[in-house]
Amino acid sequence: MPTVVLMDSSLSMTRPVSQEGSEEFQRKNLAVHGLTMLFEHMATNYKLEFTSLVAFSSLWELMVPFTRDYNTLQEALSNLEDYDKTCLESALHGVSNIVQQEWGSTCPCQVVLVTDGALGIGRGSLRHSLHTLKQRVEDKKFPLPFPFPAKMFIMCIANVEELQSTDAMDNLEQLIGLNGGEGQIFTMEGPLCLKSVQSMFGKLIDQAYTPFYAVLHCGNLASDVQVFPRPEPVLVDEEVDPIPKAVQTDLEIVGFIEIADISSPPVLSRHLVLPIAVNKEVDEVGAGTTEDAEEEPSANQMAGKSPNFCVLLHGSLKFVLLNQNNFYSKKKSNLMMSLFEPGPEPLPWLGKISQLGPISDAAENPYGEDDSKSPFPLQPKNKRSYAQNVTVWIKANGLQTDVQKILRNARKLPEKTQTFYKELNRLRKAALAFGFWELLKGVAELLERECTLLPDSAHPDAAFQLSHAAQQLKLASTGDSQYSAFNHNITPLHTDFSGGGAGDRM
Amino acid sequence: IMMFSVSHKTAFVVDHCPYMAESSRQMVECDMLTKSRGQGVIPLAPVSKSLWTCAVECSMEYCRILYDVYPTRKLVHYIVSDSEFHSLNSWRQEDQSTQELMAALASVGPPNPREDPECCSVLHGLVAAVESLCAITQYQHEARRTLMDVADRVANRGRIICLTNAKSDTHVRMLEDCVSETIQEQNKLAAGSDRLMPIQRCELVLVHIYPQGDDTLVSDRSRKELSSVLSSEVHSVRAGRHLASKLNILVQQHFDLASTTITNIPMKSFLCVSVTLKEEQHANTSANYDVELLHHRDAHLEFIKSGDLHMAGSTSRDSGLKETVTLKWCTPRTNNVELHYCTGAYRISPVDVNSRPSSCLTNFLLNGRSVLLEQPRKSGSKVISHMLSSHGGEIFLHVLNSTRSTLEDPPSISEGCGGRVTDYRITDFGEFMRENRLTPFSEGVLDASGRTSSERAKAQLERHTRYWPMIISQTTIFNMQAVVPLANLIVKESLSEEDVLTCQKTVFNLVDMERKNDPLPISTVGSRGKGPKRDEQYRIMWNELETLVKAHVGSSERHQRVLECISACRSKPPEEEERKKRGRKREDKEDKAEKNGKDADEKAWPDSERLKGPQEREKEEQTESEMIKDSPDSPEPLNKKPRLMSEEIQPPQKSKGPVSLLTMWTNRITATSRKHEVFAGRLNSVNNKAELYQHLKEDNGMDLHENGKATR
Repeated sequence: MPTVVLMDSSLSMTRPVSQEGSEEFQRKNLAVHGLTMLFEHMATNYKLEFTSLVAFSSLWELMVPFTRDYNTLQEALSNLEDYDKTCLESALHGVSNIVQQEWGSTCPCQVVLVTDGALGIGRGSLRHSLHTLKQRVEDKKFPLPFPFPAKMFIMCIANVEELQSTDAMDNLEQLIGLNGGEGQIFTMEGPLCLKSVQSMFGKLIDQAYTPFYAVLHCGNLASDVQVFPRPEPVLVDEEVDPIPKAVQTDLEIVGFIEIADISSPPVLSRHLVLPIAVNKEVDEVGAGTTEDAEEEPSANQMAGKSPNFCVLLHGSLKFVLLNQNNFYSKKKSNLMMSLFEPGPEPLPWLGKISQLGPISDAAENPYGEDDSKSPFPLQPKNKRSYAQNVTVWIKANGLQTDVQKILRNARKLPEKTQTFYKELNRLRKAALAFGFWELLKGVAELLERECTLLPDSAHPDAAFQLSHAAQQLKLASTGDSQYSAFNHNITPLHTDFSGGGAGDRM
Repeated sequence: IMMFSVSHKTAFVVDHCPYMAESSRQMVECDMLTKSRGQGVIPLAPVSKSLWTCAVECSMEYCRILYDVYPTRKLVHYIVSDSEFHSLNSWRQEDQSTQELMAALASVGPPNPREDPECCSVLHGLVAAVESLCAITQYQHEARRTLMDVADRVANRGRIICLTNAKSDTHVRMLEDCVSETIQEQNKLAAGSDRLMPIQRCELVLVHIYPQGDDTLVSDRSRKELSSVLSSEVHSVRAGRHLASKLNILVQQHFDLASTTITNIPMKSFLCVSVTLKEEQHANTSANYDVELLHHRDAHLEFIKSGDLHMAGSTSRDSGLKETVTLKWCTPRTNNVELHYCTGAYRISPVDVNSRPSSCLTNFLLNGRSVLLEQPRKSGSKVISHMLSSHGGEIFLHVLNSTRSTLEDPPSISEGCGGRVTDYRITDFGEFMRENRLTPFSEGVLDASGRTSSERAKAQLERHTRYWPMIISQTTIFNMQAVVPLANLIVKESLSEEDVLTCQKTVFNLVDMERKNDPLPISTVGSRGKGPKRDEQYRIMWNELETLVKAHVGSSERHQRVLECISACRSKPPEEEERKKRGRKREDKEDKAEKNGKDADEKAWPDSERLKGPQEREKEEQTESEMIKDSPDSPEPLNKKPRLMSEEIQPPQKSKGPVSLLTMWTNRITATSRKHEVFAGRLNSVNNKAELYQHLKEDNGMDLHENGKATR
């Protein structure tokens, strides 16, 4: 989940914070301090996250495009200049464009807006934007909700009382509301100081940037892993009491499936599964003192040298199915977990996940002894229309083609007797279903005419078959239940000339 | 779409009154070939469809598309109305197919123009449709059952599509009022019934069909709320082509469908190309090989959001009512082993299912090939955005992710945990995965202990991994072909007698290998020099084998017997304490031993002997000598050391070192004969001789010793 840090660089951010100590801080300094803390956290614990930095006032500027290089971000942060007034709407448009250009509109993103809560005055102010929400024309819509799934975290370098003394808090809440309620407003508690800004960003980190640790199990084999990006709970679109479904921290492998059988399935999200050192606590403590820091490389080396199930799995993997809705695939040499849509049957061609069992329970190996077969894909009970030669006469040429097929075969009787009757019966069935008796009569007439047009050289059987077929169609067109039954088929006439008749006589 | 939205139930009410027998006056020329035949032949007069035929075929087309895209959970109840109503199917899933409906329609036949128009009305059908909407479908029933205490929260909504020929706007209003009143009545009834559900929402779609050339007597009207439950809309449509495109639009609206046109299809890639060209010539039409598909509109989500929808070749067709997104066939094909990052897959239905290009494309896909599709972009750049692929006879439009991945440039696995280890049992784990592949079982199949299929799969993984060293240097037994039969069997939940014999045979093999002093694939990693001595190697091997079997000993009595066989046959007792003590001594002695070139482990031997009673030992001696004599094909030891052992150590201390498998087994039988039932073979034995496992030799016609060698 890429992050856009949207930093308020308006003049109001330079307001000094009353400090008891000697040093004087601006709100901007506090904001930079908080963001530095966030970047440091990400650089150590969340380093695969792509982050970009956008500064805004009445204009906006992309200071750092999406990167994992937190030094660059930090550097840009410390070189931020101060500009004029706050204009959030255009900045949010900017965010929307930046994200869509880079990640499209399906990739979920997080927007961290850092502001002092002075949201501008007059035109361009958030208040003005929100007041005019309903008077927008199509191409001047308010940027929220974003076209991509987004969480909006608003970090206020101000405390609640200050925000509530104006309508700032209301406006920010409305902003979260416009984002579909996805997000949260953070404010500072107590005096505006380094400590309270740290505590506020600490809450953000807990909320949105804690790494997802899990244990990958395969029977008794297991590996501690970090799943990145962390899987977010999914709301199942059902009517009754939707509860977000979260991925559990125990990832259990249920069994394995060939990659060709799973066959490019639709997934909700994809995640890297990275093996991590078993003792997380040691690592976290270790970062504290220099002595431990020196030991860290050796700890890492140790971890590198002890066998890890993840690496084994990655090495051997073709495909693994995890409990309920996850699977792993090997791609570009990384262990990857993809999440299926929650539900009993995320892939129609695999059937219900809970019904997948070990092949050893099957009477015979469904893959065959030489892997020549596969139990997948499952075949649906009914064939789709395009797989069953349906008859559609909505367009005239559909009907014309079917009639022509019959006539073409009629001229090649008796060689084409089977095809002739097959096409004839197909037309008969559809005409009966559609109540199109007129067509049956018409085709009967056509066949009778063909009969009269037969050349002298024609096989005598042709005439018999044509008049027989014509007669049968006419009978069907009367609606007489004896002749117009849907499942009845017109069968070739047994004649002295046809093979069957000759056989009978012998 | 919510679980039970209005589209869960669609009741079709088709007017079957005498006036529907009237001609639509749209003429179809079906005698095309005659024209080219020249003079003398009088072509057949064009035929025309009745209003009924038009209504029926368009409604069938609606159902065809619906069933293609939603094979389940979207249900149709088809009702025909004349002097009474005729129900052609039910809400049951089994009844949901166009085949079934076609058969039922054939039995109804076209309207009888001679029937008394006074008795006939579409109202009978509308009333039946309302009643039908109150009936619970199997899906609603299941939802109510699972929700139990909140069963009343299962929604009941539906849609009635009425195809009729109305007299006037007043007539239409009368129909609407009738539906509205019937809903009120039926809802009262349903409120007091467990088997019915009141209708919470009903959409009435009235389609007035009139012949071509006539003026319509009914005016179009967009959706209007008639009550809190009922909304109604009126479409006044000419029969024929217009009706067809109206219902096509309706099915798209009702089921959130969108249209994609596949263009640039290289017809050369289809086998049917020649036929197509021939037909196109005959039909005298221009060659248009585009194929239009319908599917859930979410397949276009990315276009809609990015504003690329109109750029993506979106054009209006059929009198500007319908939009389609054009995607280009992309020539580099994809294979099905490639795993694309796909964010959605949606079933398709071809708009023109029988047209040549359409059936060529669908057959191509049904034969197992996939096609990548390219989307033209605003910027003029092109990007592969979709893929068509079939799974189990169903074609899906896959949405592929075409933007930058947030997972790019991940850390190398070799730099992470376990990344420096080089001797993972990759091949073995590959085999493990093959054995633990999954297959679908029928619903609700539980095993004896009540486990579901996936629980059984997990239980199997648990058993298979009770002892599974991850790296080659951590294991000896899994590097030995000779152990494979036992290792494969012991993980099973239950063993047959035959399995036990196979395991025992494996053990005997190992015993024999040890007696012949065959080298073992012991890892030398982490040890100086050549690694442990041969007998130490066997001790390690036996220990590991015991560890493996012990992990499964609780599974059954037969598993237990395999362990007993090992304990009896192995060269060292499994006593933990003893082993550790000796292990420590051994380490101290190892260097010396290497220098001296002598076996330093002599002192450890008596430990095993001490455990045996004097009688047993005596028997061992006896049977052993017999056994050795009776094994003429036992080959000479391969190196000198074992011969030294047998010459130097065996005579004074008696029955030391590896003894013959039969001796071992006989001892074991003696010791445990009271605990277990006597082996059939033993009852027939002569002097405790090899008759015991005679059939083993019969089975493979090979001597056990040879077998042991052969498998290595």
